[in-house]
Parts: sequence; C-alpha cells; structure tokens
Amino acid sequence: MILGIVGLLWSPAAQAADVRFPSVSGWKQVGEIQTFNPNTLYEYINGGADLYLAYDFEELKVAEYQNGKKASVTVEVYRHRTATHAFGVYSQERVPGANFIDVGVQGYQEVHALNFLSGNTYVKITSFETGPEDQAILLTFAKAVAGNLGGKGAFPSILAGFPGEGKVKNSEKFIARKFLGYPFLHSAFSAEYDVSGRNFRLFIIEGKDQADCRDMVEKYLAQLGMQDKAVAEGQYALSDAYHGEIELHWRGARIWGILDLGDPSLRTKYFRLFEQELEKAK
Amino acid sequence: MRDRLIGRRDFMKTTLAGCGGIFLLASEAKGQETKVVDSKGKERKFFYRTLGKTGLKLPVINMGVMNSDNPSLIRAALDSGMVLLDTAHGYMGGRNEETIGSVIKGRSRDSFMIGSKVSLPRDRSTGLYVEGATTDEFLKKLDISLKRLGVDHVEILYHHGVSNKESVVYEPVLKAMEKAKKEGKIRFAGISTHMNEPEVLHATVDSKFYDVVLVAYNFQQKHMPEVRSAIARAAQAGIGVVGMKAIRGGNRQTPTVQSASAALKWVLQDQNVHTIVPGFTAFEEMEMDLAVLENPTLTDEEKRTLLKEASAKNNYCQGCGQCLKQCRDRLPVPDLMRAYMYTYDYRNLVLAQDLLLSLNLPSHPCEDCSACSVKCSVGFNVPAKIRDVIRVKGVPSEFIG
Repeated sequence: MILGIVGLLWSPAAQAADVRFPSVSGWKQVGEIQTFNPNTLYEYINGGADLYLAYDFEELKVAEYQNGKKASVTVEVYRHRTATHAFGVYSQERVPGANFIDVGVQGYQEVHALNFLSGNTYVKITSFETGPEDQAILLTFAKAVAGNLGGKGAFPSILAGFPGEGKVKNSEKFIARKFLGYPFLHSAFSAEYDVSGRNFRLFIIEGKDQADCRDMVEKYLAQLGMQDKAVAEGQYALSDAYHGEIELHWRGARIWGILDLGDPSLRTKYFRLFEQELEKAK
Repeated sequence: MRDRLIGRRDFMKTTLAGCGGIFLLASEAKGQETKVVDSKGKERKFFYRTLGKTGLKLPVINMGVMNSDNPSLIRAALDSGMVLLDTAHGYMGGRNEETIGSVIKGRSRDSFMIGSKVSLPRDRSTGLYVEGATTDEFLKKLDISLKRLGVDHVEILYHHGVSNKESVVYEPVLKAMEKAKKEGKIRFAGISTHMNEPEVLHATVDSKFYDVVLVAYNFQQKHMPEVRSAIARAAQAGIGVVGMKAIRGGNRQTPTVQSASAALKWVLQDQNVHTIVPGFTAFEEMEMDLAVLENPTLTDEEKRTLLKEASAKNNYCQGCGQCLKQCRDRLPVPDLMRAYMYTYDYRNLVLAQDLLLSLNLPSHPCEDCSACSVKCSVGFNVPAKIRDVIRVKGVPSEFIG
C-alpha cells in the first residue's frame, strides 16, 4: 500500500530536448533545458501565453547561457503547428520600423532582445548584463541557433499578393482566429498602407473552398443585418458599425478587401492592383 | 461508537477551516452599486464596485486586452462602458500597449483607466529575481510602456507574474514603484499572480506595500478554497482585488468551460473581488461580458452546471456542505474529499497527511455504518473515497517527507 501511494509521487523525467542548442565560444549553457507545452506555457510567460496558444503553439524549449562575467543569454525556441502560424505570432510582435536582420526568414534586434522566424519556429533571444557588446552577442547566438534549426523556410507565399505600392514595409500580419473580431471570418492575412498620408489596410481570407467563403459572406451579411441580400460571388460595399466602411470581393475560395479607405478612386485603384497581384501570386 | 463521533469543537474547527471551500456563496449586494451608463448610445445599468482603498469605482467587468490586436474591439469596449484596460509591458512584444495607445489617443483622460505590468529577469527554475534585476531597469520599462501608451501615467502598475513570497518584497521593485508613484507615473502599486496565489496574496498583505492585486481565480482551480481565503484577507486589508483567468488560462485547469458567462458570474459572486478583466478578441464575447455586467447573478441552472463541471473535471469536492447534515457520524466529508484531492490530484502526500491528522479522526471512520447516509450532490462515492484516503494517515513520514 505504501509503495502504491508513494508511487503516486513518481513522474517520468522530462523528455530530452530535440532542439539542438548550440555551443557558443566563451559561453556555457547552465541548468537544464526547460520544456513547456500548451498546458504549461502560462508558467513561463504568464498572460502572454494566450497569444501563442491562438497560433497553435506546440512546444517551447528554453536554454540559458552564462559567461565568465556573469552576463546571461536566454534562448527560447517556440514551435508552432505550421510555418504560417509561426509567422503569425512573429508578425504580431514585430515592429514595422525595427532594426531588421538577415537571420532565418527574417529577424529584428532591439537592446537586449533579438527575435527571428525560421520555418515553424519563432526564436526569441534575450540578454542580460551583456554591456556594449550586447548586439554582437545576440547576433552570434541568433546565427548559431538558426544554423541548428535546419532549413529556414520562407514567408507565406500569399504575402506576394499584396501590392507593393504604398505598402508599409514589414506590416504584413497573419491573424489566426476571429479576424476583425468575428469568429466566422476565422483567419486572414493583412497589410498596412500609407498613400500620401491616407492610411488603410488590405486583407485576404483564404477559405477551404467556395462553400466556406459563401458561409463567411452570408454570416457577415447577417451580422450587419443584411441577411436578406442575395449572396453571390462578386464585390460588396458594407457598412460595419465597429469598423466603418469595408469593401470586399469574393471569388472562389478567396475573400479580399479594403478597410478604412474612403476615397473611391483610390479604392478602385487598389482593388484592381490587389486582384492583379493575387493572380500573379497564385 | 462514541469515540468515533466527531466532537462539536472539532467539527466547527474543520468546517470553518474549509469555509473557503464552499462553492456557491450567498449572493449579497453589499459593496456594489449600479450605475446607468451610455453604452454605444444606449442606456444600460451596469454593476460597479470600489477597488479597495484605491477608491476607484469600476464596472465589475473590464477588458483584458492581452491578445487583441484589434483597435476597433478596444474602442467598442470603451464606448460600451468598460473603463479599465488591462495590458502588460511584455504582451505582444509591446504591440499590445501600442494598440491601446492608438485607441485612447484623443480620448479624455478620465474616461478610461490603464493597468499595465512590468517584470524583471528571474531565475527560471526558482522564480526568484537574479542579481542585477534593478530599480533602474524596472523604471526604464515603465517609461517605455508610458511612451507606447501615449500617457503620462497609468492608474495601476503591477509587479508582474509573482509566484513566491520572496519576490513580493523584492526591494528594487518596491523602490521603483515608490519612485514612480512620487513622480506621478503610477497612481497605485499592484502585484499580479497566477501561481502559488495564496502564498503571494498573504505576503502581499503582510508587506503593507501594495494597493491592488490581480489574481487568477476561477471555479476550476483545485486550490480554489485557499485562493478564496487569501483574497478575503487581502480585501479585508483594503487591497483592491482584480480577478483574472475567470474563464480559462492559468495552471491546473482545463482550457474551456461550458458556460463562459456562468464562469464570470461565479467569480463575481465573491464580493471580495472588485472587478475582473477577462480577455476577449471577438465582439460577441464582449457583448456576453456586457450582459453579465448588467446582471451578474447566477441562475439556478448555471449553478447546477458549474457544480457538476467543477466536480467532474477536477475530481474534487466543491464544498456544497449537504453531506455534513447527512453523515450519521458527522464526519467532515468536504475536508476528507480535499485530502483525497491532495493525494490523487496534487500528489502531495504531506499536505494530505497534515490535513488528515488535523481532523483528529479514528483510523476507520466509516466502520460502523453498513450503508452510507451521504448522497453526494455531484455523485462522489463518498465512503469509498474516505476508505481510500484515510490510509494516508498511517503512512510513516519517512516515506512521504
């Protein structure tokens, strides 16, 4: 009986790390590699975990390094279900005007922090007490980690469909759920535009198929009190109490549109441009 | 038979100790008021409570912005009557505060309140601050947050994600908070916790430093009674209590609930909680929160659903107390069920044995009854669980220490 009860306390040892954390000259890896799954991520990043979970987070591995001067570097490797989901969470955190670097698909660097995207992983490196060498140290670690992650992958190909003219560089995002705050619109890609001081947003939703898109359009019209309107492929000019004027176009398994653009001629121009670019990106 | 009966003193002692374990509280309107507000052009009557000694009057539900990148949603929450926006320096790598900044730009400063959070580097395994986690670093982060938000102060700044009593009184953070208060960058000093919440809450009260706590609290927490008691102590000490993770998130709980509005109402039935900040990312979720803000009282149907859900998923008693009247030998059944939970869910035999020994029970408490008179409201096989767990009492300490 005692052994039975005491046996309750036994739990298998943590699985060995499958991410290979690199050796970096002058630095020593300290402590165990920590592993977090969707149920335990809260223990590590508190309320920030919700965002990662919305992007199909699967596993986090954390390694800590120290040098002889008591400086430390922490490397966090977040693995998501798909490369698009990893891009999504990366895109939610990057700043369009950041100091971008060529590591993985893309990375950027701030004081004491460097983040980069590689395949279906999002890597975050932070430093502490690293002094004037901080940026160089972070970059060294980033390159070493990226080298161990294998193929770096690429940005989602659909991003090429956003017209280049007026696009705010690095403003593209993938929103994994509840686009525009509506669960029925599920996921979407978006990009910010600035044309002579006019700020607006283009977006594209990739449905599973035509029926999926029809369902989204029908639900959106119902949300706006237009449930009686006949639903067919084509263009819709909508007035949304939460978002203002929205124009969207549905064809096949895609819905694309423009938010916050009042100027009709500019709207027509961007619809045309968007359509052309999406055709090319197919 | 007589020596197997539980004395009145022991009965009182154990049931009082387990008061926090009562799942459903008597609904009292004490400490709350209603206010008619303009909610997107419509008059609605929302419930308000006062956030402890801060004196801030807040709707009982506000917005946890943490994973919303949607300015329209934040704008809608404020236009609908919510007042407090909860965020953190680290959410979305800072983009969360920037999004809030874009929404509040141009709004009257007294039309909204902001609670943000700052943390410093900690040892990953112990949760303790590392050497060099300094006052300057904390203040630097606060300044960045204020800049992102576009404001000169926040109403509440939380010491973020504290999980042990040592960190509660970490001097560099306290000094930073004090300085920020003096400089008018924060109005109130807060602390947030969703791990070892009771320990952190008690240390917070003892510190006499903080004005507000932000604490994970929900009907599925296995240590809910301890959290509730600690919240009560904090509220009695005048500390403003903000609840979080009412619906999902946090440790040791399932990610979803059958009824989100019932889960919110469950937290609000506790008058020691002054407001809650559920995170929402969809307009329909916001509308559900607003409906609860208008009517936070649990219906009988919601009560039944919550009781069943909490008990079924967590394998532990919710302390409805009906068994106390039913048991012929007046056994402290809720405490015994708690010991069962400590044993099989927490896998903490020390805690289980301590509790069992404190109950002063005989070795075979159910021995004289051929049939059990207890009909557990959520269907536990009470005598079987008692027979099982009571064995822990006799396990030599060297095996479980």
